[in-house]
Amino acid sequence: MSGSELKITAHAIIRNGKILRNSETIFESSDTGSDFLREAYEEGLKIDYPKFYKMDALGKSGIIATEVLLQDFDFGKYKPEEAGIVLSNKNSSIEADVNYFETARSFPSPALFVYTLPNIVIGEISIRYKFKGENAFFVSDQFDADWLHFYVSDLIHHQKIKACICGWVESVDENFDTCLFLVEKEQKENAVNFTAENLKEIYGLKV
Amino acid sequence: MSKNVYIAGVGVISAIGNNVAENLASLKNNSPGMGDMQRLESNHKGKLPVAEVKLSNESLCQQLGLPLHTSRTALLSTIAAKEAIENSGVTIKKYRTGFISANSVGGMDKTENFFIEFLNDNNAGDLHEVVNHECGAVTEITADHLGISDFVTTISTACSSSANSIFLGARLIRQGMLDVVVAGGTDALTKFTLNGFNTLMILDSQFCQPMDENRRGLNLGEGAGYVVLVSEKLAGSLDVKPTVQLTGWANANHAHHQTASSPDGTGNLLAMKGALKKAELNPSDIDYINLHGTGTNNNDIAEGTAIKNLFAGNYPLMSSTKSFTGHTLGASGGIEAVYSVLAIQEGLIFSNLRFETQMKELPFKPVTKLQQKEIKNVMSNSFGFGGNCSSLVFSKNA
Repeated sequence: MSGSELKITAHAIIRNGKILRNSETIFESSDTGSDFLREAYEEGLKIDYPKFYKMDALGKSGIIATEVLLQDFDFGKYKPEEAGIVLSNKNSSIEADVNYFETARSFPSPALFVYTLPNIVIGEISIRYKFKGENAFFVSDQFDADWLHFYVSDLIHHQKIKACICGWVESVDENFDTCLFLVEKEQKENAVNFTAENLKEIYGLKV
Repeated sequence: MSKNVYIAGVGVISAIGNNVAENLASLKNNSPGMGDMQRLESNHKGKLPVAEVKLSNESLCQQLGLPLHTSRTALLSTIAAKEAIENSGVTIKKYRTGFISANSVGGMDKTENFFIEFLNDNNAGDLHEVVNHECGAVTEITADHLGISDFVTTISTACSSSANSIFLGARLIRQGMLDVVVAGGTDALTKFTLNGFNTLMILDSQFCQPMDENRRGLNLGEGAGYVVLVSEKLAGSLDVKPTVQLTGWANANHAHHQTASSPDGTGNLLAMKGALKKAELNPSDIDYINLHGTGTNNNDIAEGTAIKNLFAGNYPLMSSTKSFTGHTLGASGGIEAVYSVLAIQEGLIFSNLRFETQMKELPFKPVTKLQQKEIKNVMSNSFGFGGNCSSLVFSKNA
């Protein structure tokens, strides 16, 4: 079955010191790394979710991107179990793994240990935004639009999922490359068709 | 299509015995399996007690005719699954048969051997030791050995893995897709799991005291446990008609934290409630709860609070057999399913060893002495990291 009736109803990008919502820059800072994420959280988006400070960089960038992605989202429209999350990246949770391993030389940190899996970012998004349907995290060499398109289409057509956050969330050496999409059946203003080509084009936006 | 799913056979290996008879004898004699590390090589040797299966890899391989490089996870699995099939009296070749096996470590025990050499020299290390690293590879080794190929799959949802395997098997039988399913799980002790749990600071340096006010954490164990599930039609054709059914199951998740349960036990309550509903039973019908009861501060209060809310004043007898076997992670739901079936067949409530002080938040305490009693319905709880909560209900034939 083709996914042509599915729409990308919003997208969010965090890259090169900028945050974009539907291709428009909504936050920009000369700060880098964790400072950038903290500034985006506190001053840019004014989120109030203290658990944010406990998260690793992958979790933080996932939460910020989702907050941006869901700015106009009608949370009453879907049941939690009808909302899925499918993410991917190249380097898994390597940053958290290395940070944890460093502490393991003296006293292994339980707080860091619980972030040493890539799908923890899915859990963080699920807990905060109540997206509690099917989820998966894939590791691939590069952004794989064809695979994401296939997998998310299948979830929506065959697995009772009606809305799905999908995309790429990467954090290496405090450099972020995050690009999330919201996929729904609904037609919305400025929505584009959910196709591999459109995923590639949006992911490839020059920031 | 009958919705009844029968338990035709059971098989188990754990720190308290290499087969069902030995496990039952230890449960009756209040004889726990923890002690100083004998087989596992770790810096924590002498400091953290573990519950090891007493057989060496060499003798397990010899017993099964499997090569020496086989992961211990697969060896334990094969021993227990084989026993379950023999115990059932089912000629599996004649039926559509499935093997659904859970584990959480895969072939990590062998990978750890490889890693030591590889870390020193990236051209060193025997690659034979990593080919079975992945969880599914372990299941395949056992399935091949048993000659099961109609349906083979692996479930890995941390400590609820085996319970989820068992009810997936029941669902496949109910839907008429398979006639027989060997379902349960296995896990071997590894440095990886020991160090991970130690990082979380939830290991007890003494023998664990589940459900106790002064509990300090869990002891890790290893083993495997399987049940042979059969359809009503097949059950009727067996020489010895099975007396126990799997009547209820449910899986829920409370999405609270990466490793911890929510303190009020939201997911635990959903799982127990769901399993009762599936079994068409009331809370008062449950005679015994085989608790998840790990001995950690967090699990026991979450599980206890959920029981307090669900059973509200009418508390069944309950105990954690992890006080015998330690926490066998992916295998625990399988091992405890076997114990639940034995509880019904033998009319026994097993003791919750080393219990001293009732938890101040709870109006009940576990059973501290072996009891003989007719048991009709047993609930078996398995609650995993990530909030993955499952409950099973086993019932005596009406």
